[in-house]
Amino acid sequence: MAQTTVTAVRPRVPARARGRADGAVKASGRARYTADLELPGMLHARLLLAGRPHARLRSLDVGAARAAAGVRAVLTQVDVPDVRYGMCVRDRTLFVDEVARYEGEIVAAVAADTRAQADAAVGLISAEWDDLPPLLDSEAALAADAVPLHPAWRSYAIDREETRSANDCAHVTLVKGDVDAGFASAFAVVEQSFATDMTHPLAIEPHAVLADWRDGAVTIWTTTQVPFLARAGVALTLGLPESAVRVVVTHLGGGFGGKCDFHLEAHAAALSRAAGRPVRLVLSRAEEFVVPDLTRHPISMTFSTALREDGTIAARRARLVLDSGAYASHGPTASEIATLMAVGPYRIDDLAIEAHTVYTSRTPAGSTRAPTGPQLCWALEQHTDALAARADLDPIAFRLRNLVGDGDTGPTGQRLVRPTARDCLLRAEEVMRAGGGAAPEPGWLEGVGFAVGTWGNVPLPSGASVRMHADGSATLVSGAQDNGSGAAVALPALVADVLGITVERVALVHQDTGATPFDYGSLGSQTTFNAGRAALAAADEVAARLRADAAERLGCAASEVVLQGGRATAGEERIPIADLAAAAQAAGRPLAAEVSPQPPERPAEPGAARSQGRAMYSSFPFPAYYCCAARVAVDPATGRVVVRRVVACHDVGEVLNRPGAEGQIEGGVAHSLGLALSEGAVLDGGRQLTTRLMDYRLQTAADVPPIDVELIAPRTPGDGPRGARGIGEAGVIAAAGAVANAIADATGVQLRQLPMLPHRVWAALRDAEAAS
Amino acid sequence: MTVTLTVNGEPRTLDLPPQTTLLELLRERLGLTGAKEGCDDGECGACTVLLDGAPVNACILLAAQAGGRAVTTVEGVHGDGGPGDPHPLQRALVEHGAIQCGFCTPGIVMAALAAEPAADESAIRRALAGNLCRCTGYQKVVQAVLAWADDHHERERRGPSA
Repeated sequence: MAQTTVTAVRPRVPARARGRADGAVKASGRARYTADLELPGMLHARLLLAGRPHARLRSLDVGAARAAAGVRAVLTQVDVPDVRYGMCVRDRTLFVDEVARYEGEIVAAVAADTRAQADAAVGLISAEWDDLPPLLDSEAALAADAVPLHPAWRSYAIDREETRSANDCAHVTLVKGDVDAGFASAFAVVEQSFATDMTHPLAIEPHAVLADWRDGAVTIWTTTQVPFLARAGVALTLGLPESAVRVVVTHLGGGFGGKCDFHLEAHAAALSRAAGRPVRLVLSRAEEFVVPDLTRHPISMTFSTALREDGTIAARRARLVLDSGAYASHGPTASEIATLMAVGPYRIDDLAIEAHTVYTSRTPAGSTRAPTGPQLCWALEQHTDALAARADLDPIAFRLRNLVGDGDTGPTGQRLVRPTARDCLLRAEEVMRAGGGAAPEPGWLEGVGFAVGTWGNVPLPSGASVRMHADGSATLVSGAQDNGSGAAVALPALVADVLGITVERVALVHQDTGATPFDYGSLGSQTTFNAGRAALAAADEVAARLRADAAERLGCAASEVVLQGGRATAGEERIPIADLAAAAQAAGRPLAAEVSPQPPERPAEPGAARSQGRAMYSSFPFPAYYCCAARVAVDPATGRVVVRRVVACHDVGEVLNRPGAEGQIEGGVAHSLGLALSEGAVLDGGRQLTTRLMDYRLQTAADVPPIDVELIAPRTPGDGPRGARGIGEAGVIAAAGAVANAIADATGVQLRQLPMLPHRVWAALRDAEAAS
Repeated sequence: MTVTLTVNGEPRTLDLPPQTTLLELLRERLGLTGAKEGCDDGECGACTVLLDGAPVNACILLAAQAGGRAVTTVEGVHGDGGPGDPHPLQRALVEHGAIQCGFCTPGIVMAALAAEPAADESAIRRALAGNLCRCTGYQKVVQAVLAWADDHHERERRGPSA
């Protein structure tokens, strides 16, 4: 097991420039996003969607569309290689192959001179269908006699051990200790069930792709969070070498996991090849809701927890059913995470947790920001409050008794080093209790709730190069993709700090698979953690060269040389860094380094073999902790909930950029409040009814209350750059659970369905009153 | 159909299909891509521009409805130093860390400029309620607008000679 050295020196955190590097270009409206790009001769693409949840394609006639005015290409599945793709299970094709399994499945794609002509041509395509019974209920789809949504499921390639059955594309378990023994000796058992509606990542920028195919190779500008995975997808589905596919991202208008998969790039590329012209495809907002296969999983959850007499948790069983929709996408990985989230940051010796990842006839789910995190935390933290009540302890005292401490082991035996869950809880409580706020409205009920959790930092490979130019300025070439968080655009500050030059003199080349080393993209909160390490390692190599060259010139040891203020300094002696760089270039030894450092080794997990289906998340490696506290007011007459205040306390390791870290958490909390109170898709027969932003309601500036972000000093050794950890996802997890517990504190009633819409709150209050 | 209007102070006359929206006119005919299309339905606010100084969603306004009127887009917003010099509001948004992906930012700039420059948080939150942002949680956006409004008031109070 790798041991991280904790240096005696306090990490140097680069001074923040005046706002982030891409701030001015974005504020001015000059930043170009994919849908803003245009090429000479560019065509406009539109899609024909199945429009039905489950149906067999009896006939498809594109003749009239091909003959229509302005139309340059019309493609269906017969026009592309017969290849299946998919992140965890290769279960899908670019276009409908005989059977459509959700309403947004793509039947055909059209490229025409104008968007209106493309729209008109889509209307000329004749598709005849035989409707099949849709699978609408994930529990029913698991039944032994259920019709398989994918009759050929056994033939689909998977990226993990075989744990499938017909409609369950991944059966994942987490087993520790002896759960039967834990329950046998229990003082009390609490069992509860919860369920969540489907929600959407909902970046404000819709998916857009511009593909330009020429001379056997294609350049694709696209709204992806994962340029290299998108490249691999295009290469696989169109039968090309990866070297013939260049994926470029300009500014990305948010992702939240919704742009995490490969999806529309190959459609645009194939149209461009067929038409011999550049092709741009931009999804409408209504298409955004149904086409891209990355909703947040609806999950049904049952927790059964055994308590000891002393108020500690003895054992837990949990059964989770994730509705994956028509295709697996990242569902199997989401199920791995969900089982970990079902344990939470608690010390539990005996566990038997299982998750099913179920095919149904609706838009597929994927890895929306902290996949399964908010759903599980919302349910588990309400369950934790119920356990506290059963143990006759207040929620804080019960948690302090059960949260993991130094030396405790995680579900797969990972030894935890000074976890900060308790610190986060205590700080959040202190700040929440100290805060004032407006007096309650007459007739409204007020309450405070807490939710605690953990989340991992996944070690992944990532590459970077640093090149110093003859004038002492430098270019960082990083594989990192910035989804808008600023994680990638902050990397030059790390490099500048190492090289002793100003950040304005470090250029960043990124988001271009033709130019940069490999990186997994902006997923899993990994950019700072992994791309940051790579950028630092490359900068360190160049800095070592500078120190060695300076030492030779100054006649001192390299270790005596300090790089700062554009100079290499040793005692009273100094040389401009530009002189060293110019000399190195003239000597044919340019100051450059490309590295892809080994990711830190995951902690040992001696108990991992007892669990099944775990390919990516056997544990939360390098865990971070957080606690969210919320104060709410509930109108018992209408069920309306108003969040008055939120305190979000996080351990993010060393903070590289405070406003950046705060912004990630604040945005995550607002997203989580939407999950708590306003966001939820309404479906009818497998079709979404809520495909407008008036119906699927995000939180607005007027809805979101003041959010206090507390970043606690880390107590664990850091494995990321300068001890930093990821923060892209954790912020979204806990606020929904904190709001739920605050509602229960105010009303005495827990909510079992997310989102906690007014009519649900009202009905729960009425039911509780009727029962009492 | 011929439409004559003023865009960022410049008079323009364009021949357009009658169903052309103001957003299409700006983005596709004039190449002013600062206003974004997030929903094409008047719901997200990413296409907010000013029409005779009032904020409108350009995606649900016909170009013809802007005939004879003055349109201001984010490309027409700048500081005293002219184009290229950030407006104090834009500067405040950058300095407060109020910009992440930036897709909604041009719309927020326009909506905030049109708001009553009353340095009151709830008024600012209401003025921005039509501009959806998924990244920031609005905290730093509101702080930036408040800071800008405070400065603005301070300058007004001191008068032009101060």
